[in-house]
Amino acid sequence: MNFAQPVYYPKADYIETDTGNKVSRRATIAGPQNIILGGKTIISSTAIIRGDLRRTGPGHAVVISLGKYCLISEGCILRPPYKTYRGNFNYYPMKIGDHVHIGANTVVEAAMIGNYVEIGKNCIIGKFTMIKDCAKIADNTVIPPNTVVPALVLFSGSPGQFVENLPESTQELFESQTKQYYNRFQPLEG
Amino acid sequence: MPASILYHCTCTSVPSSSVIGAPPAPFTAPPPQHPLHAFGFHPLPTLYFCEECDDVSGYYCPNCLFEVPSASVRAEKNRCARNCFLCPQCSNTLSIVSSDPPLNPDNRHPPVINSVGDPPFFLYCNYCRWDSAEAGITFDKPTGLALQLQKTEDSSPDTLEFDRLKEHFEPLIRISHVQPTAITAHTIQTHSHSALSAINAAASSALARDVPGLRRKRVDPNAAKDEYGAYYRSRIDSISGGGEVHAEVEWLKDMAQEEFLLGDVSRLEQRWVGSWVQSLKSIDLKPLRIPLHSKQTKRCPKCRHILIKPEQKSQSTRYKIKLMAANYLPSIDVLLVPPLTAQPSATLSRATGGKAKQSGAAADDANAGQALQQGKTYAFQLAFTNPLYEPIQVRMTVQRPQSKQGKRAPFAVSLPTSSFSISAFAEAWEYDDEEDAEINDDDIEDMLAGRGTDGSLAARDSGKKGASNSTVGVLERKANVTKVGGEVVIGRESDGNVQFNVLVSYTYRADDPTEETGSSAAPKTAVSGGGENKTFSFYIVVDLGTISPAS
Repeated sequence: MNFAQPVYYPKADYIETDTGNKVSRRATIAGPQNIILGGKTIISSTAIIRGDLRRTGPGHAVVISLGKYCLISEGCILRPPYKTYRGNFNYYPMKIGDHVHIGANTVVEAAMIGNYVEIGKNCIIGKFTMIKDCAKIADNTVIPPNTVVPALVLFSGSPGQFVENLPESTQELFESQTKQYYNRFQPLEG
Repeated sequence: MPASILYHCTCTSVPSSSVIGAPPAPFTAPPPQHPLHAFGFHPLPTLYFCEECDDVSGYYCPNCLFEVPSASVRAEKNRCARNCFLCPQCSNTLSIVSSDPPLNPDNRHPPVINSVGDPPFFLYCNYCRWDSAEAGITFDKPTGLALQLQKTEDSSPDTLEFDRLKEHFEPLIRISHVQPTAITAHTIQTHSHSALSAINAAASSALARDVPGLRRKRVDPNAAKDEYGAYYRSRIDSISGGGEVHAEVEWLKDMAQEEFLLGDVSRLEQRWVGSWVQSLKSIDLKPLRIPLHSKQTKRCPKCRHILIKPEQKSQSTRYKIKLMAANYLPSIDVLLVPPLTAQPSATLSRATGGKAKQSGAAADDANAGQALQQGKTYAFQLAFTNPLYEPIQVRMTVQRPQSKQGKRAPFAVSLPTSSFSISAFAEAWEYDDEEDAEINDDDIEDMLAGRGTDGSLAARDSGKKGASNSTVGVLERKANVTKVGGEVVIGRESDGNVQFNVLVSYTYRADDPTEETGSSAAPKTAVSGGGENKTFSFYIVVDLGTISPAS
């Protein structure tokens, strides 16, 4: 990892917040008042985050919360899960933990994603999916609705299924990878 | 493929596990051409600091995450006994769905909605739309489904047969397990022989039952007299297996004449993963309870020391004990320097940065894409990161690439032969990346003074010393990372991969190496503390890529 090259982006393309979040100007952020970013989180261009799909009823509602050191890659769609319960259609909040990387063009409708989770590109994460800490979803995986992905496992395929247990060092490994990615993500003037 | 580094583990027989204990003096890693080579080297994060052996410390269901007490695991046949089922078609997890509420005859009132839904309940697959009503399974209430399905499972002929077999053989096994110390080897042998012949007899009589032609020829007259043979014959009538088999054969014959749909016949894996025999018709397949997962404690088979001890809670990712190789061995990264521009790679990528924009893959591909050409010289860099709280001294010895008889070695590697130092890891460096923490080499030398010459390092790669070049040697030292340059000369008629083994030895000063003190003790106190120098060696394999023929 010591030889990993910096990833440059044109400075004008991203907005950097006080807490170190970097949000692309070309990302579609709907309902920003309902979205929480934990700091040092990167939201790439052409990503779509649907904070506007909120629970009906009065008052303030957090629709999507992201932890720190997350990465939402190009073309990702984060959309809160919905269902009709007792005859009422409603959206439900989506919670994503710290150190979560989501690959390009992945659609996420999960109810919960834990910490240190890596999701590959071109995945579909079905409604109300629960992904526990340190899990990994391989590229091109389809996780059907209501699936539970336990901690420290690799899921792959369509429908996504258990492949193997991940090593015990996954947490440290992924923590350093996500931190390093954030530090490598550097602005380029001009 | 980009240049890569794998670590050798001394436990070559078990592919995905293990560690590096102190190798005995004559120990060497298999050379890259050796068939064992592929199994002996692993990425650092998967290695433990000792050899491991697995030991189950707890079971849980991967769907409902319930921690199953070990006592009930066997009774529940290692599967979830709550509401978790696998779809028989696509093995996705099934959801419990209620039926539509009854419609009011006059549409004025909204339908009465029950809080749990309306019976009958059935299982539904969100992925392939299979539902259990198709297979004739519905439930009156949405809880305790496993218990409701248990009857079908328990009454299946195969389960009954297995239970009877277990009942019969369990006392036999218990006897042979309990008594080994009391009885002589001879009696064990005769005993296990009789148990074996019993199993043979049982098997042959079962075979004779299912395959009528074998009955006369195969059954041994002695075995027929055997009590087990009698036991089995008495069972034949009670088991309805034979009739079903014939019905299935008929069904398959019909199928051959009509329009054949592959999906109608269940796949082999659908029939084999079940705990009882599943139907040949895919429409009749029954849902399976989800198999349990386990959390494992891992021990070193040599010293029985516990390496991994997880917390009891099923979804906790914390460990009471966790000894990973990555916490003790320096981690090593490799970079093949682009050949055209000998300048540092950082400036190169800065120049192309405008085009590369933010896709990190683009920058990585620049290194990955290049092929090594015959008859050329390439520089490469190794970056060592020290995970320890003490500084270490590292020395590398290249294991010479094997040359076939009479042929010249396909490539020659030069690496600095003298030892170099890496500073200690300190938490502060995690936060301040830019701080130039230059450390004087002499400081570390002083600290390690008095260290005896290590015999295993005596065999030095002296032949390469003449090739003095600016690319070979210590290039950069920053925080707990030291970068070292090397060079590889590729022969004119070489092909294959540039892979070579390097023996890495490192020396550190510690009171107790197996104890993570967590205190970054100042070097001076370490000297006065009188800790001893410890040297540890391990092999790595460096893969620089494939040689392409010169154009």
